[in-house]
Amino acid sequence: MNQGTGFRRNWRANRGLYLLVCLLIASGLIVASRAGLLSPVEGVIAVPFNAVSGVLNRIALTISNTISDIAEIQSLRQRNAELEEALALFQSELVELREIASDYQRLTDLLDYTTTARNQQTVAADVVGVDQLSLIRTITINRGARDGIAIGMPVVTGQGLVGRVMDVTANAARVLLITDQSSAVSARLQNSRVEGSVIGLTSGNLRMTYIPLNATVQEGDLALTSGLGGNFPPDIVIGQVTSVREVQSELYKEAEIRSLINFDTLEFVLVVTSFQPIDVSSFETANDRSP
Amino acid sequence: MSRWLSIPILAAAVLLQATFVPQVRILGGGPDLVFLFVLAWSVHAPLDTCVVWAFVGGIMQDLLSAAPTGASVPGLVLLVFGMHQLKRQVYDISLVMLAGLALAGTLLQQIMLMIVLALSGFTVYPAENFSYIVVPTMAYNLVAIWPIYWFVRRIQKRYTRDGRVFVTRDA
Repeated sequence: MNQGTGFRRNWRANRGLYLLVCLLIASGLIVASRAGLLSPVEGVIAVPFNAVSGVLNRIALTISNTISDIAEIQSLRQRNAELEEALALFQSELVELREIASDYQRLTDLLDYTTTARNQQTVAADVVGVDQLSLIRTITINRGARDGIAIGMPVVTGQGLVGRVMDVTANAARVLLITDQSSAVSARLQNSRVEGSVIGLTSGNLRMTYIPLNATVQEGDLALTSGLGGNFPPDIVIGQVTSVREVQSELYKEAEIRSLINFDTLEFVLVVTSFQPIDVSSFETANDRSP
Repeated sequence: MSRWLSIPILAAAVLLQATFVPQVRILGGGPDLVFLFVLAWSVHAPLDTCVVWAFVGGIMQDLLSAAPTGASVPGLVLLVFGMHQLKRQVYDISLVMLAGLALAGTLLQQIMLMIVLALSGFTVYPAENFSYIVVPTMAYNLVAIWPIYWFVRRIQKRYTRDGRVFVTRDA
């Protein structure tokens, strides 16, 4: 017994060895987690954390919103007046657009064409947590595999695309936001129908890349999902073009996109459960092998 | 006792980190509470206890993150070993030195995290992350280390044998 204790003390006295053992254990954990071996344990431990986190998140958001409301009350009054003016203008436009929509409806009925958006089934979820690490932009929602959530499903709000499900447990899911550095969404500009890819930036903003140099891009254009790649259904709003950048040495243009969603104060989201992402990886592998 | 204390304290830190900290972020950075608690605890605690705190804090933090479990641990482990190496060299850790450690430690932790995330398949832009996330986090941690250190010292003195259980220099 004494020998065992002595040995334990001896190897720990060697700082280099001790540090090496600790780092090896940490590496083992990371590898096991990436391989999915820890998923059951992670799921079980995360349950109480997510429950408490949900309550605290609601409190934090309420406090934050109250503080910002008080601070912005003056500017809100001014904004309200501007919006009332704009509303009157939009109402007249709305009547016009309704006419166009009814025309469109009749034409699509004639073609027996049904948009995918109309058939979308969604599950509403509360946001119960934001990613711990500033380097990753994900949110945790309180719906999981039991509610029919699966990896790859798109997540939206009334204002547009939020991201897609990257991880699911029984009663929670983690959503990779489109503002994350790892995110890339195939996109199309509404007016010019130009296609490109919207990527997340470190700053939390969005950038549309791979826009052909001869394409016409204007500030205010809406960027929508194109549906290419099979990861997202088409025609979900991603954001609005705020500026366009053209570099002579590059083969394409870039446009800064501002999402209509405030990702810092998200409370509720909708998971599109009727959309199944299409796995095109087998084609990519086949192309890689071809000479 | 001090090892067990790590669970409730770090759990509370992790929950605050996931809920309140995102509301006070400047640019992309905010106070890294788990890091600060581990750093503050390691100033006066023995190495074995600090290693437990580094593992418990790192794993808890990663459970509420998309990062693989254990991603935050290497940086925290290096931090506590570095702290104990430093304690062998100097007579005492002054409050000014603690601020320096908060800055250097944040840098170390964020660099280690970026390396682990890049190796795990995440996209990481080091230069942008440095200006947008690491620098604001360092600034926040520099300010937050004082109250957290004060809080940790109160706990250490109250819940451990007359506050003398912690040794500055390890045998």
